[in-house]
Amino acid sequence: MSAQDEPASLLGAGGEVGRRKAAGARVLVIDDEPEIGRAVRLGLQSAGFAVEWEDRGQAGIERVAQWRPDVILLDLSLPDLDGVEVCKRLRSWTQTPIIVLSVRAHEADKVAALEQGADDYLTKPFGMGELIARIRVALRHTAQSTGAAEDAAGALVRVGALELDLERRLVMVEGSEVHLTPTEYEVLKYLAAHLGKVVTHRMLLHAVWGPSYEAEAHYLRVFINQLRRKVEPDPSRPRYLITEPGIGYRLREAE
Amino acid sequence: MAQSLSHRLTHSALWQSLRVWLTESPRSGAPGYLLAPVGVAVATIVIGLTESAARISDVSLLYLPVVLWLAMRYGRGPAILASVLAFFSYDFFFIPPLHLLTVGEPSEWLSLFALLATALALGHLTAVVRARAHEAEESQRRTDILYRLAQLIATATTDQQLYDALTQQIVSVFAPSGVHACALLLPEQTGAHQIIAFAYEQGYDSCPVDAQPGEASGRPTARDQHTIVRTPLKTTRGVVGSLLLSGAPAIRLLAPDTAPATGDTAPATGQEAHAREQAPLFAAFCDQIALAIDRAALASEAMRAAALRESDRLKDSLLGSVTHDLRTPLAAIKAATSSLLQNDVAWDAQERRELLGSIDVSTDRLNHLVGNLLDLSRLEAGVAQPDLDWRLMSDVIASTLDQLELSGQLGRHTVRIEEPDELPLVLMDQEQIQQALTNLIENALKYSPEGSEIRIQTRVVDDELCVAVIDQGIGIPPREITAIFDKFYRVQQARLPWSRKRPPIGTGLGLAICAAIVKAHGGRIWAESEPGHGATLTFTLPLATDRPQGGLPEIAASAETAPPATPATPEAREAAV
Repeated sequence: MSAQDEPASLLGAGGEVGRRKAAGARVLVIDDEPEIGRAVRLGLQSAGFAVEWEDRGQAGIERVAQWRPDVILLDLSLPDLDGVEVCKRLRSWTQTPIIVLSVRAHEADKVAALEQGADDYLTKPFGMGELIARIRVALRHTAQSTGAAEDAAGALVRVGALELDLERRLVMVEGSEVHLTPTEYEVLKYLAAHLGKVVTHRMLLHAVWGPSYEAEAHYLRVFINQLRRKVEPDPSRPRYLITEPGIGYRLREAE
Repeated sequence: MAQSLSHRLTHSALWQSLRVWLTESPRSGAPGYLLAPVGVAVATIVIGLTESAARISDVSLLYLPVVLWLAMRYGRGPAILASVLAFFSYDFFFIPPLHLLTVGEPSEWLSLFALLATALALGHLTAVVRARAHEAEESQRRTDILYRLAQLIATATTDQQLYDALTQQIVSVFAPSGVHACALLLPEQTGAHQIIAFAYEQGYDSCPVDAQPGEASGRPTARDQHTIVRTPLKTTRGVVGSLLLSGAPAIRLLAPDTAPATGDTAPATGQEAHAREQAPLFAAFCDQIALAIDRAALASEAMRAAALRESDRLKDSLLGSVTHDLRTPLAAIKAATSSLLQNDVAWDAQERRELLGSIDVSTDRLNHLVGNLLDLSRLEAGVAQPDLDWRLMSDVIASTLDQLELSGQLGRHTVRIEEPDELPLVLMDQEQIQQALTNLIENALKYSPEGSEIRIQTRVVDDELCVAVIDQGIGIPPREITAIFDKFYRVQQARLPWSRKRPPIGTGLGLAICAAIVKAHGGRIWAESEPGHGATLTFTLPLATDRPQGGLPEIAASAETAPPATPATPEAREAAV
């Protein structure tokens, strides 16, 4: 369903980024607002990124092919092409991380873009610090994705006091083992494979329970709530299993 | 002699008045006129039998009970007929010379006329008493009906309900006069009259009432043997509407003013008699209905005017509040940027930072205000249809606090979440509820000292989920406990004793947005406070009985044996950690 579940395309920029210093990474901004384009360009350039800016979807896709950016910042409301469509077209030939930019209250668009293979989203207006942090997460992911996305997370995933040993199928919180049901383990494993990235309800339900459960987001909420009671130090203020309202979940990456 | 007497009688004033009485008889007299000769014959036989047995003086008095009975039962006409018949029968059978309508002895005249006069007087008086009783009964009935009508007008809560009840009432009261259906027509803005309420007698569901605005007022028209009468409803302001009645021909007698009498050749039916009698009542009905319509129109005009005034007032206060709140940060941004753009000034790093910081804070404020205004206008316009889904309140609370923490708004406050382990799924628009919760918490943050605790308490109470935000701030004066949810309302003279700064800024929109959101979800919102010791703002969301109660199944454990496809590179592992 999502491109992320399939083996990464050979066009992925992973190897290149590995060689190139993250600070010098190329960021392509596709946004029709000149002020946003200018502000983002200035902000990212001062942080050491190489930035190009396109204000149309079609031109943006062409620029991706020519310039081979390491991260794409994509506004969802473009005058010529729907942002979700841009996402879909890009994903048909490249695995370059896409961070979607959108205004509040367009959750459905965000979900659609994420399911078309976008890696992350940011709600406008956003701070420059937040944007740079998200770009770094995306770059780190491309650096890891040499094979299938699930393997990329490595055999040992550690988020704060939460440890996931994929080889031994063990979950530890603060050094002591936590007993999870096989289903709970699969959910955690799927989130760990997408560490730091947003996973939509549908993606998670599809991957763990199968296609016939894709619409059961409400039961997933109850399920995640139960899982939090086992792995979160304070289940009412989750630190690891973060809810992305209206979209899905994210296993927060260790800072 | 008898002929000349009857001739004289025919033309006398007495006979004239008798005719009037006859026609005014409240009940159809036909059986009475038949019974009068029978009664007199019976009385004559009885007198004859009595006469043969023993001579009794004034035996003619035996006719009087017959007259009395007829007067009571059938009114004046039969009583008068019986009196006259008694007069002649007594003369014919008992006054010598017998079997002749003459009187031999002149003194017998006296006794004969005494009989006639007594009978007539008795019949008249009895009939008068009877008519009075009937009138009293009738007026009591009318009073009852009009009282019910007035009650109906007073209790109707909506105009449409009033109109429906009025037409229904007309049909039920005037059905005996032949009214089968009734329609109420009110003028539209174009001036054409439109049916706005319609009622018909039970079991009579065809609709012969046809509203034709061009139809001349008051002209009854026959349509499929239905008579249609249109009565204008008049008040001092003019014609406010009209009533259309449909039914038997008799109904035109209900409104004699508007229905010119056509030749009264047809025999009077019971319906006609009833209609004639009910005409004043119908007129009273029309007056009452006209007044009610007039009042309803005036009330809705007054309401519109009040709504307009209120919306004007709101617009004014919106403009005042919003222009100030928009201008202040804009002015700060403009000042800071124009300073920074000045070529001839060399700002040092510290000064640049201060100017930029002021731009940053101002944009946040603008963003907040614009968001609030948009939210409120969307909610009020009903555009923001809640995007409902089954969600957990604990998720919403956590997301809300994450956001507030991220934007640094929690400051040095501590937040304590109190919630049971198992919370039911609630049907809500997460974004809206998160907005409401954000506003409630921001409100608590604003009015309570740094370092104090804010509690967010979630409970299930009966069939509702209650979420309370409890602070230890300055509280809310009792007078203002409900007003705080009004648009642009801000607690008067709020002073923060722990701070020498001015009272916190705000637009007075936050809690109004909360109230609008909670209302759209079918919940309630209220505040409780002990001034000086903090406030508790609580909202509820209804718990649906059909909420999903199940869960996701446990998947097969077969995946357990599947090892990771390829070993991760040390490099990747490092990056993950």
